[in-house]
Amino acid sequence: MRSGNSPRGLMLAVFAALPTAVLADGSVVDKVYHPYVEQLEWELEWRAVQEHNPPAGEAQRQATHRVGLGRAVSEFLFAEAYLVGREGSDSGFTIDAWELEALWQLSEQGEFLLDYGLLFELEKYRHEEIWEYSTTLLLERELGRFSATANVGVIYEWGDDIEDEFETAAALQARYRHSPLLEPALELYLGEDTRALGPMLLGMARLGSRQALRWEAGVVWGLDATTADYTLRAVLEYEF
Amino acid sequence: MKPAQRWACAVLCSFAVGMAQARTPVFELEIRDHLFIPEEIVIPANTKVKLVVINHDVTPEEFESYELNREKVILGGSKANIFIGPLAPGVYPFFGEFNPRTAQGRVVVE
Repeated sequence: MRSGNSPRGLMLAVFAALPTAVLADGSVVDKVYHPYVEQLEWELEWRAVQEHNPPAGEAQRQATHRVGLGRAVSEFLFAEAYLVGREGSDSGFTIDAWELEALWQLSEQGEFLLDYGLLFELEKYRHEEIWEYSTTLLLERELGRFSATANVGVIYEWGDDIEDEFETAAALQARYRHSPLLEPALELYLGEDTRALGPMLLGMARLGSRQALRWEAGVVWGLDATTADYTLRAVLEYEF
Repeated sequence: MKPAQRWACAVLCSFAVGMAQARTPVFELEIRDHLFIPEEIVIPANTKVKLVVINHDVTPEEFESYELNREKVILGGSKANIFIGPLAPGVYPFFGEFNPRTAQGRVVVE
């Protein structure tokens, strides 16, 4: 698992699949993952994405909330389960899906030119026969106080209530490690119906021994007619 | 790029990474009684180094440093590798998150 060749082999396998897929439809603005696992860590997470004037929907505003509980199950593997709730400006809040996620750290931080990881996600809608599975390659490179992160994913959707198809999505983040409490960043999201770019603020406050609160907040603006005018994004993670 | 070229590229990259690793200086850091020993490690500037952290305590400890951008848990009675750098000259503090009052240290880059 930790050999020097395995991350590159997996990366080639993921990239080899990309040309056969189309870009993901719907918004792919969510969260940029980093390819690291902190052993023994538990995490309670809330994150929300709120789209304003999404072209695909009838509602002027659509929001997706995720509440998750995760745990590092080994030195290099982190698992998390989520409940997913959605609401629109013309509809109430409903919990309409669950999601399982596993993050696999493939290399030690700083060991190679890039740090590697893989993210596996499985989502099932509660009231519809819709499944979604994705594999995402996580890459990160430290450049002094800057960190550049890329998430490149292949998604497969299937079920009786959705057209079976492969899609791809990408997210890029450039982050400046100014201080633990405040790290400005710029994020770019790309999918079939998403071209969005915008600033983020990230930070972490230590609450005691082995306890920390991490947060992310920002806005990305749509760069074309198929993307929501703007999308607000926020994350709160309690680590313990 | 053809499949054969991809694999050739991957193999060459692996060799290059292997050679680079062979030249990576190694420094040892021990954890005993919730202390980092030595407290100060001097490493060369602009050079990636491998820090081998050996935890002799029975309890886990976490090597943490915002300045070095590293967080790594080392279970009791085990060791871990932490790659740091290349770094500009300066002093980079680190601490043990499980015992922050006693487990303190610094990497001095010269």
